[in-house]
Amino acid sequence: MPDLPRNQHIIASGIVAGVGISVCYLSYTQQPSEAFTFPRLISTVFAVLAIWTFGKALLGKTKVGNGLSMEAMSRITPGLLVMLVYIFWAAKALGFYTSSTIAFFILLSLYDPAQHSEIKSWIRRALITAGFLAIMYGLFAMLLNVYTPREFFN
Amino acid sequence: MEFLLYFSDVFTPVNFGLLLIGTIGGLILGATPGLSPTMAVALLIPFTFKLEAAQGLILLGAAYTSTVAGGAVSAILLKIPGAPANIATTLDGHTMAQKGEGAKALQLSFVSSAIGGVFGVMLLIFLTPVLAKWALAFGPSHLFWLAILGVTIIGSLDSSSVIKGLLSGCIGLWLATIGFDDIMGAQRFIFHPAVSGGINVIPALIGLFAIPQVITMFAKGPNDTTAEVIAVKKQPVMDSIREVIKRRRALGIGTAIGSVIGLIPGVGGQIAGLVAYDQSKKFSPEREKFGTGHSEGVIAAEAANNAMVGPSLVPLLTLSIPGSPTAAVLLGGLLIHGIFPGSDLFDNHPDVAWTFINSMLIGQILMCIFGLYVAGLAASVARVPHSVMAAIVLGLALFGSYSVQNSMGDVYVMASLGIGMYFLERFGFSAAPLVLGLILGPIAEANFVQGSMIANATSGLGPYFLTGTLNLTLIAVVLASIAYSVWMELRQIRYTTKDDAVHKEEAL
Amino acid sequence: MKNLLAGAAIALMGLTGTAYADGHANYPERPVMLMVSYGAGGATDFQARIVTMTAGNEDALGMPIAIINKPGAGGRVGWNWMATQAESDGYTLGAYNVPHFIAQSIKGGVEYSADSFEPIANWGADPAVFVVAADSEMNSMTDVVDFAKANPGKLTFSGAGLFVGHHIAALQLEKAAGVKMAYIPSNKGGAGAMKSVIAGEVMGGVNNLSDAFRAAAAGNVKILGVFDLERNDFLPDVPTLKEQGFDIDNASVNFRGVMVPKGTPQGIIDKLAATVPAMFENGRVAGKMKAGGSPMYIMTRDEVLEMWAAREETLKELLAGL
Repeated sequence: MPDLPRNQHIIASGIVAGVGISVCYLSYTQQPSEAFTFPRLISTVFAVLAIWTFGKALLGKTKVGNGLSMEAMSRITPGLLVMLVYIFWAAKALGFYTSSTIAFFILLSLYDPAQHSEIKSWIRRALITAGFLAIMYGLFAMLLNVYTPREFFN
Repeated sequence: MEFLLYFSDVFTPVNFGLLLIGTIGGLILGATPGLSPTMAVALLIPFTFKLEAAQGLILLGAAYTSTVAGGAVSAILLKIPGAPANIATTLDGHTMAQKGEGAKALQLSFVSSAIGGVFGVMLLIFLTPVLAKWALAFGPSHLFWLAILGVTIIGSLDSSSVIKGLLSGCIGLWLATIGFDDIMGAQRFIFHPAVSGGINVIPALIGLFAIPQVITMFAKGPNDTTAEVIAVKKQPVMDSIREVIKRRRALGIGTAIGSVIGLIPGVGGQIAGLVAYDQSKKFSPEREKFGTGHSEGVIAAEAANNAMVGPSLVPLLTLSIPGSPTAAVLLGGLLIHGIFPGSDLFDNHPDVAWTFINSMLIGQILMCIFGLYVAGLAASVARVPHSVMAAIVLGLALFGSYSVQNSMGDVYVMASLGIGMYFLERFGFSAAPLVLGLILGPIAEANFVQGSMIANATSGLGPYFLTGTLNLTLIAVVLASIAYSVWMELRQIRYTTKDDAVHKEEAL
Repeated sequence: MKNLLAGAAIALMGLTGTAYADGHANYPERPVMLMVSYGAGGATDFQARIVTMTAGNEDALGMPIAIINKPGAGGRVGWNWMATQAESDGYTLGAYNVPHFIAQSIKGGVEYSADSFEPIANWGADPAVFVVAADSEMNSMTDVVDFAKANPGKLTFSGAGLFVGHHIAALQLEKAAGVKMAYIPSNKGGAGAMKSVIAGEVMGGVNNLSDAFRAAAAGNVKILGVFDLERNDFLPDVPTLKEQGFDIDNASVNFRGVMVPKGTPQGIIDKLAATVPAMFENGRVAGKMKAGGSPMYIMTRDEVLEMWAAREETLKELLAGL
């Protein structure tokens, strides 16, 4: 499918151009105007460059960037979902240490090349998770006194 | 030569012990994403309450020196710069690690850090009074041109396409304007409460570099076996030292640029590494190798980072003006003991001043020794499977970005920017110019606004920004930098075919 | 892991316990966080670190206080966070700077006002002073005002930002002397403003007494006047603006202290209001503050409430004309 990267380039640069134009529009309409002098300057250059890139993508002249293959996307998706849930919901709702333990273990299980039928590999993953969390707890909670959101049990 | 008198003070058992703790602790903190030198030093302040003035400063000075160098460890091995100063190190350092030269890259970075660092401290010892005048010579108009100079290198930094490099830079410049306007206090582009405080550089840095790394590891899938294949080449330390000496052009450029930029209050180490990287690329006959794991890139960037440490303290120690956030924290460390930097420090407390400076000198060397030892660990890091590495980096990214300000907003910004960056990278955009834009935006804007306020009250805009030797010199350098980029771009169009560009992209 | 499990067990007990722990007798049970809306190393941050260093003592809170910096836009970023996002559970304290946050809330564009916060205690009062470079020809405030009269709008002078104490002092000076001057706000706080005075980028500046005292000791600046009702102990030789014939009160004096977000349980506020002023009075704290050149001024919660109300009134009047 030689056209897949090209279409993707059009979509990607289209999104960037969309952001550029909206930023440009916003900076010329927001008040107070003296606070927006610098944003106006930047967003104008931003929009021009973004439209140029979009034009190049439309003409199929984009030189760099490999785009995404369906294969890669299918491999990314589960990890990405775990990441989204972990960062945007679980970290705050369940607490950093609880959610990290769960997310860490799931990610390890998802992407570990070892056989999932072996009991030994599960133990190994659990041990790695425990080790990592112990280091994080030692470094951030005990040494640096970082005050993380309340844990789920709390 | 007064400093020689106080050398023995560094080697008393307690002081030397603190120096060791500071150095080793600094390396560890520096290698942790999210803990910039400023934060590491601020975290150590409470420990110095109980110590004597000189002892406290030894601890802080050693920690400052080695956190700056420690940032290179995560930059090289994980492609996560520990602090903005280490962005340039990722460009070639991480590529070297991917080629199995992680140990070499680390050794080069520590050796050049130490050489640059010792030079910087020497400047602090011998030329402080002269340098203090220099540091003050940079007013708003000059800082503005300096920021513009930084902007001109955006296009040529780590990108096969100048246009996309510039566009990435513009995205960064725009992101920097989100939040409260620093001078007027007006709210700009606050579309979500998470960005109401603006986009903090450190969480953004973690997101833009670490998250794409994590997703790239996901993309390799569970059955990928390449992780086991990369054998880390053994690298004798002497070979690395020889390599650094052989690359003396990069080392010299890095050290010189780091010392000069470190001196200027308000610009500091954040861009020293990037400017040095860019300049040594432009002066190198092998410039096309930059970005593909070329040793000069690592040497120039790291020499600049540590060369900046000594001069960055000049305004603090002589004029009592902290030139960088880290210097401001060190100022607190001095004030707590009732010592005022400035003439008071050198006249009435020479034992404190010189012991502190000497400890930074010894600290550079200790840092190098421990660093070279750490370099041996590169092999074990490369052997960690993708699944584990992805989970570790993600966990570190969460904790690191949160701990900067104890803010969930920063974490959301980190993840959103990171995920966006992964997809943008697939289409030829890159993170380094974006971060550079994020750093330079506020410097350029604030100095322009301040400069034009002063100009409007006095001589007028034109004369204020366009006259004076320093302004003209900086403008000339800016123009030269632009001309060079244009010339290179025109030449490139003739040579680069689509295949070449894609090929280079894959090598990254 | 053991720690986590132990933590979980304690937490479960805590959950069942909250119902009757209404008197907050056990507060604080874990380390407390103090948000400072200026960067690490600034005067507010530095003083906050000193005055909270004894928090872990048994006679104080019995738990350490950790400083978190949320700098930006003259303090607006931190106080906005404090008013809108901080948890009002008693474990999130904030440092206030008056007149800064009150002036900013009067000017608008922020999501807080004096009603968004509950004061606990005041630890310091840092008057603004007028400084010029050591080699400047101006030797008194009269020289400054005479120059400004002869060159309207041309006398450039720096300060830490817009609608902070320095800016209030600048506005008062312009009003009292009836002159127009060019106030140049710095985006790097008091340190940035001081640098521009020493480097000669501006002709003068308003700055913190504590920072100016240090710069004057180093021989870099001359201090021409204090924006306060009385001369300061650190600078017995420097006359106030009032002595030099300008009708300026102490509205710009930078009061620093501790507050909590509105909605914090009254029991916790009362407990903090009782213990925190005593914590500030600790001898070690006073010693370190004096060594660092930072004037202390301890006020209780009731005194601070009064001071906030009085400031709000003065500032509304002063800023009304803008």
